[in-house]
Amino acid sequence: METIKKYLEAMFANLPRTPEVVKAKDELWQMMEDKYNEMISEGRSENEAVGTVISEFGNLDELAETLGLEQAVEESHELMETTPRRQLCMDEVRDFLHAQMARGVMLGLGVMLCITCSVWVIMLSGTFLEGIGVLLMFIQVALAVGLFLFSAKRNAAWKYLDKEPCQADFATTEYVASEKDRYHKGLIGQRSLGIILCATSWVPALVFDTMGLTNHFIIDNLIAAVLLLMVGIGVAMIINSSIVRASFEKILKINDEKTMSSRYVEAQKVLYENPRLNDIMSVYWPTVTCIYLSYSFLTFNWGSSWFIWPIAGIMHSMIKRRMGMVKQG
Amino acid sequence: MVEISSDVIRGYNDTMILYILRQAPSYGYEISKQIKQLSDGKYIIKETTLYSAFTRMEKNGYIESFTAAPEADGSGKRRTYYRITGIGQQYYNEKCEEWNLTKEVVEHFITADK
Repeated sequence: METIKKYLEAMFANLPRTPEVVKAKDELWQMMEDKYNEMISEGRSENEAVGTVISEFGNLDELAETLGLEQAVEESHELMETTPRRQLCMDEVRDFLHAQMARGVMLGLGVMLCITCSVWVIMLSGTFLEGIGVLLMFIQVALAVGLFLFSAKRNAAWKYLDKEPCQADFATTEYVASEKDRYHKGLIGQRSLGIILCATSWVPALVFDTMGLTNHFIIDNLIAAVLLLMVGIGVAMIINSSIVRASFEKILKINDEKTMSSRYVEAQKVLYENPRLNDIMSVYWPTVTCIYLSYSFLTFNWGSSWFIWPIAGIMHSMIKRRMGMVKQG
Repeated sequence: MVEISSDVIRGYNDTMILYILRQAPSYGYEISKQIKQLSDGKYIIKETTLYSAFTRMEKNGYIESFTAAPEADGSGKRRTYYRITGIGQQYYNEKCEEWNLTKEVVEHFITADK
């Protein structure tokens, strides 16, 4: 059965994706499947059934004529010769997905290290270990920067996916789609947990405050530290889940949407009516991070500077809703 | 063994399909199976030929398509069924006459002499 499916996929690979072509492929598949099933139920061998179905399929030229596609078929052959697409193989795509998962962990961890770097200073302030706190803070920031640089360097190996036209075959895109489904719930859960952690990070402070325990400096510091840790872990989870999800979508929309070559899934992409806003929004989160770090380092007001994250998140979704258009296939 | 030439039979694929649809609405594989049976396995219609014929005849209004499940109670896979129309019936009759004439003419030139 798989062989027949692959055969049909290969036959249709370079035809334009029009409703007529999609329908023709579905109908032909129906007939082939019926014929195959009947031969199997008659007790023929798998090989015999596959052989018969394929030999009795006919040829696509006949179909191209009926569907008015002679020109399109010719053009697609020409296109294949003039601008060949880089063919991605299964192993390569699997490596890419694994690399992106590692990248998600590294970037998430890096951002978490940045957000929580002042925990040491807060916890050790007022003690004789204050100097060590500052040292640990810088070590943490250095580690984070190291992670950013390392993952950027490793990610550079995959730049060709953006720059060159690529193509992935049917089996590969099916594999990615099934992996995406498999991870779907986990990613949603991770993202939701991340958002909940960020949104509820002030709860410990409130609890201790109502209990009247907030005037002791150790408890105050502890509350601030817990808050930063919650925000840090939450943001790390959001970043990690977004990167992993984006990696699936990248492969799924790598094929030319105009041909039937394989599964094509248009990722939800936000576009802004104002082209300048598109540029601004593409550097939104790095800018926020930059503002956060500069403000915090300049004022050492780490206890409240984290507030920029929820505000930035709300602003982002507001801008998206007001001025953005979601482009969907 | 002599095989049937697709060039010759091309003009009569429509006739065969319409003949089957005159009895009852049917779907792709069922029609190809009947063509094979009625011709004693001497003619097997290719899937692409069959689908091209469906599309062309539907465009010309000879047949109509609809989706249905093969069992009356709605069980089984949903398939695209085709049924013959009034114009299709007329076209079929014309094709029958045309064939009778063609057969008659060609027959004069066929001999069993080797």
